[in-house]
Amino acid sequence: MQRGSRANSASLSRVERYLSSLLVIFVFLCTLVSPAVGADSIAQPPSSVAPIQPETLGANTPLGRFSYLAGSGLRLGKTGLTVGGFATAEVDHLENGERRGAIEDLNFLISFDPVPFVHLFTELGVESLATVERGRRGIRSNPSLDAARLYLDLGDRDALQLRVGKFRTPIGRWNLAPRDPLLWTTSEPLIVENVFDDTTTGAMLHGSVFPQGGALSYSLYGAFLPPLDAGRDEHPVRRSAGARLEWASLKGWTLGASYFASQRRNGQWNHLGGADLLWFPHRRVELSGEILFGEGTIKDGATWGMYAQGVVETLPTLYLVGRYEHFNPPGGGRDINVFDLGFAWVPLPYLRFKADYLIADHLNEFSSPGLRMSLSILF
Amino acid sequence: MGTRLLSIALALLVLTPANIAGQESRVAVIVHPERRAALSADEVAQIYLRRKRFWDDGTPIVPLNLPSQASLRTRFSRLVLQQTEPRLADYWNRLYFDGILPPATLASTEAVRRYVASDTNAIGYVPAAEVDGSVHVILYLE
Repeated sequence: MQRGSRANSASLSRVERYLSSLLVIFVFLCTLVSPAVGADSIAQPPSSVAPIQPETLGANTPLGRFSYLAGSGLRLGKTGLTVGGFATAEVDHLENGERRGAIEDLNFLISFDPVPFVHLFTELGVESLATVERGRRGIRSNPSLDAARLYLDLGDRDALQLRVGKFRTPIGRWNLAPRDPLLWTTSEPLIVENVFDDTTTGAMLHGSVFPQGGALSYSLYGAFLPPLDAGRDEHPVRRSAGARLEWASLKGWTLGASYFASQRRNGQWNHLGGADLLWFPHRRVELSGEILFGEGTIKDGATWGMYAQGVVETLPTLYLVGRYEHFNPPGGGRDINVFDLGFAWVPLPYLRFKADYLIADHLNEFSSPGLRMSLSILF
Repeated sequence: MGTRLLSIALALLVLTPANIAGQESRVAVIVHPERRAALSADEVAQIYLRRKRFWDDGTPIVPLNLPSQASLRTRFSRLVLQQTEPRLADYWNRLYFDGILPPATLASTEAVRRYVASDTNAIGYVPAAEVDGSVHVILYLE
């Protein structure tokens, strides 16, 4: 327990250090850039043209118009700052008897674009805000602040950008945007949850070129900084490097391939490779899938797994969702087959209610069968 | 005499309501007159999806949209982006997760034309019939 709290404080102090760095960069860029230059990056029309930037709330201030649009955040005048975020409430009713309700995430998305070639971004998360659980009295609250992402993008060419900081590890599609308001199910596929570190702290070269018919994007990245939340990871990565290539066709399909190599504390290098697909065969149908295989994982040992997911809009705003997963756990455990079936209701683009039932072919430590529901909002 | 009649008939044919309507229904993608970029419909799509965010000279592209209720926007989305509004909303949510916002919206095609005429980095779309000398057309969509 004491060890856990020591790890937590170490983690918090790292977060504080990174936040301090963020603040220093912010102040530096503020002093470097005049408000007039900042205004160029926000696309404010000249005063002679009546703008109607869609907004839910707005007010004129000396810094320009503060404009809030539900699901798109608050734009703070001509400063180049945008503050938004999302929140999720969950209810679980699992077959193992676990019953719980929680306000699981309250995350803030903060971006700062002082000049066109600088994009500073952070996602600050407050986890475990409130939990009610069967067998335990009252509401438990153990909020902790976590810099889920914190990075700086530099570059004035689409083909070449430099990202430095903590960012989502670009393996597959799911891991790049794994938050509830963007997903169709309440649970994450096992290959995304259990195989690799979901963030990398280091640097990444990335960019896109645009041949006829689509966009070809690449990412080349490596970790060389200690992870922000190393205290939570039993086997933190010592060094890692990876690459991702993606073709996004304007015809409605995206194909990606990823490779990732990591060296853990035990000195051993692990290798992972995978492919992913997103396809819209019809305007009401979305199909996606990923396959990942390799040697060595967070818990060591060879593994492979895949998922295939289908989403069909049956009535306007109501989507039926089904996912099949196969997972060969690291260390030679028994293969797991999982089915996740449910629906998602999206009455507004920034509001999503989901309910799905997860079925596994046998009891295992990786997936808990049962009913899960969530309500998430982008703000 | 016959040639003159033929010329008059042809002129009348050119001015038929169908042709005038055709001109009005064309969508012109416009930029500042100083911007001599040549863009294909696919490149315009990448700009409006915020994947392509810089002109070749390294200056930022400022794409301008019309309000979501505007019929011209629906038409533009169908012709260029080839996506429905719900799917686009999903796409923008995903980009919002990385701090990237959709194109700025202006109230009218008149506002779009005036903005583009005043900003060398801007790109917009208006009905072809509304184009004047203050902007440069880089692409017509039908």
